[in-house]
Amino acid sequence: MIAVAGLSKARGGVTALADVDFEVRSGEVTAIVGPSGSGKSTLLRCVNGLETFDAGSISIAGHRLAPGLQPPRLLERVRRDAGMVFQQFNLFANLTAQENVALAPRVVAGVSAAEASRRAIQLLDRVGLAAFAAARPATLSGGQQQRVAIARALAMEPKVILFDEPTSALDPAMTAEVSEVIVDLARGGQTMVVVTHDHALARRVATQVVELVAGRVARIGPPAAVLGA
Amino acid sequence: MTAMSTPRIVWHEALVATAALVIVTAHGAAAELDEVRARGTFVWAADQEGGGPHVFLDPERPGRLTGFEVELADMIAAELGVTARFQQGQWDRLPLLLGRSVDCVINGIELLPERKRDYACSRPYFAYGLQLLSRRDSPLTAFEQLAAPGPGGRWRVGVLTGSAAEVFLRSRHDLEVDVIGYDGTIDSLEQVQSGVLDATLIDDCIFNFYADRFAGLRAVGRTVAGGYYTVLTARDTPRLTAAIDEALGRLIADGRLKALYDRWDLAGRQQILALRDAAEIPVAGRRSLRQLAADTLPMLLTAAGMTLLLACVSFPLAIVAGLAVAVGRLYGPAWLARLLTASVEVVRGTPLMLQLYAIFFLLPKIGLALPALVAAVAGLALNYSAYESEIYRAGLKAVPAGQFQAALALGMTKWQALRHVVVPQAVRLVMPPVTNDFIAMFKDTSVCSVITVIELTKRYSVLALSTGRIVELAVITAILYLAMSWPLALLSRRFESRQERVA
Repeated sequence: MIAVAGLSKARGGVTALADVDFEVRSGEVTAIVGPSGSGKSTLLRCVNGLETFDAGSISIAGHRLAPGLQPPRLLERVRRDAGMVFQQFNLFANLTAQENVALAPRVVAGVSAAEASRRAIQLLDRVGLAAFAAARPATLSGGQQQRVAIARALAMEPKVILFDEPTSALDPAMTAEVSEVIVDLARGGQTMVVVTHDHALARRVATQVVELVAGRVARIGPPAAVLGA
Repeated sequence: MTAMSTPRIVWHEALVATAALVIVTAHGAAAELDEVRARGTFVWAADQEGGGPHVFLDPERPGRLTGFEVELADMIAAELGVTARFQQGQWDRLPLLLGRSVDCVINGIELLPERKRDYACSRPYFAYGLQLLSRRDSPLTAFEQLAAPGPGGRWRVGVLTGSAAEVFLRSRHDLEVDVIGYDGTIDSLEQVQSGVLDATLIDDCIFNFYADRFAGLRAVGRTVAGGYYTVLTARDTPRLTAAIDEALGRLIADGRLKALYDRWDLAGRQQILALRDAAEIPVAGRRSLRQLAADTLPMLLTAAGMTLLLACVSFPLAIVAGLAVAVGRLYGPAWLARLLTASVEVVRGTPLMLQLYAIFFLLPKIGLALPALVAAVAGLALNYSAYESEIYRAGLKAVPAGQFQAALALGMTKWQALRHVVVPQAVRLVMPPVTNDFIAMFKDTSVCSVITVIELTKRYSVLALSTGRIVELAVITAILYLAMSWPLALLSRRFESRQERVA
C-alpha cells in the first residue's frame, strides 16, 4: 500500500529525514515512534504531500510522489486515498459535526448532499457520536472532536488513514475513547499509519513499528521487537 | 474607514457636524467698513478653478492670479484706501464665507432675487448673457430645439452648480433637458467636448475667453437670457456695502471700468451702456418653515435615495472585489500577489475624489465615457475594495492554518478549501469592521457630487444656498443621514456581540 524508499529532507540546513525506508502492507497497521523532533510527523506529512521532500520516493495506493513540488492533481488523488487525522483535530469550525463529515464526500467525491448527510450520521454513529451530529466543534470535548475527525477521514473511504499523534492533545480518559476507535478500525482491517508517543496504543494496534531517531530509521520490526515486551 | 472604530462614532460625528454647522452659520460678526480700514486689507473671495476671464492662474506667471475681477478687486480696495487680499473658495459656497474672514465675494455672482434676500448686493458691475454651446458636429443648432427630445432622448446640458444658468434652465419646465450641475465651468466644457454632454449653458464672457482652447465647440444661436454680476457682502455691514457701491460708481463715471473691460476684450462701451440701463431686481420672499419643508423635503428624500443607492450598490461590489483581491494576494501565484499588492497601495494612497475625477473626466478622453452614476459606483467600489481587501486579508490570516490543511488532506483543491472552509470563517471574523466600513462609505458617497451626482449632501448645499435656510436644512439633512446609518450601526453592534459570544 505504501512504500517509502530513500526518503530525505532537510529544513534550514538541518536534516529532518535521512534515507528513510519502510513499507506498509494492505490491511496492516504501522506505528511510527521516536522522541520529539525525530521527524515522525514530517515523515507522515510527506506521505500525503502536505510537505515536500528532497530525495527518495514514496509510492502510495498506486500513486508515486517524487522529490520537490508535485502537481496539484496528483496530490488531490493521493489525499483522497490517504485520509489524515491531526493532533489538534482541525475540525472545520464553521460546520457542525455532521457537516464536517459530509463536506468532502459532497464537494470532492460528488456524492449528493442527502446521501453524504445520511452516511455522515452512520459514521458518527460508528464513533459513538450520532447524538452530536448538530453540535459545533467548539462545543465538543477534545476526545469527541477527535472521534468526529476520524469519522471525517473515514467518509472518503480512504485506502489508508494517517494518524498524526491522535491522542497527544487528550487527557487519559479521552485518550482511551479515541484509542478504542482506532483499535476497532484495526480489527476491521483498515490500513493505517499511526505516529504516536503512546507505546500502549502502538502495542495494541501495530503489526509493525518504525522507530525514528534524528530523522533516521533506528529500528523496524514487530512491536515486541522494537518496543520490548 | 479604519476597521477598529465603533459605530458610536457615527452618532458622535453627526452631532458634532450638526453643532459645527449651527455655530458656523449663526451669523458671525462681519467686519464693517471701519474695521476693514483699520486692518488695511480688504479680503475678497473667489474660485480660481477654471475661472477665466474672472479669476484664474496666470499661465505666463505661474502661481500668480489674474483676471478682470482680480483687477477690479484691487481697484475697489484702492478706492477704500486699503489693499486687496484674495481668499479661495468653492464657487457655489462662496457666500458662506461672508462674515468669516471674508469681506466680500467678487466672482461673477449673478444678481438674483434669492441673493438679494440673503445677502447685501452691490450695484451691478458687469452684464452677462447666457450662451448655449454644443459640439460643432452636434445636431443641436438652435436653443428652441431643446423643447423637443434630441436623437438620444432628453438633452443633457451641463451648468455651473448654483449659477444663474442652472436657475434659468431648471425653471424652464417646457424643455426636454436633463440639467447636470458641475463644480467648475471648465468641467462642463470638457464634457461637451468629449461628447458626454450635448451642450452647456454658460456666461458668454467665459466662452469668449475659452473659445480657442475648446475649438471643437460653437455657440448655439445668440444668448438666451442675461443679467448682472454683483459684489456680495454680508447683510450686517451696510457701510461697507455702501462704500463698495460708491467705489463702483466712481469707476464707472470716470471711465476706469470701461478701460478695464476693454483691456480684457470685454466690450467696455456695451458694458457701461448695459450697466446704465440696469433694471431693479426684485427681492425674493421668505418662506415659512412649513413651506420650506414642503418645498425641500421631496428633493432631500430623493437625494437620500441616491445616497442609499450609491452605498447599497457600491458596497457589495467592494466586498466581492476586496475578497477576490485578498484571496489572490494570499493564495494566488506570486506575480498576481505582487500586482494586487501594488494596486491596493495605489488605490489606498490616492484620494477618493481624485479617483472619481479620473474615472469621470479622464476615461472619456480614451473613449470610455461612463454615465455619472456608473462612474460614481465604480469609483466607490474601487476605493473601498482596497480597504475591504486589507480587512479580508487579516481575516483570512486569522483562520488557523490547520483548517486549510485539514481541507487539503481530504483531497479538496485549494479553491474548494478556501470556498468551503477558510473564506466562510474569515467572512464571519471580519463582519464588524466590514459593517463599520459600510457606514463610512455611506458618508463618503457625498464626494460623488464632484462628478455631478446629486446625493444628500450636495442637495442640501444647493437648497441651503438657494433658500438661505442653512441651519434648518442642516438639521433635516442630519436627521435623514442618521435615519439611514442608525440601522446599520445597530446591525454592526449585533455582529460584534455575536462575535463575543462565539469567541
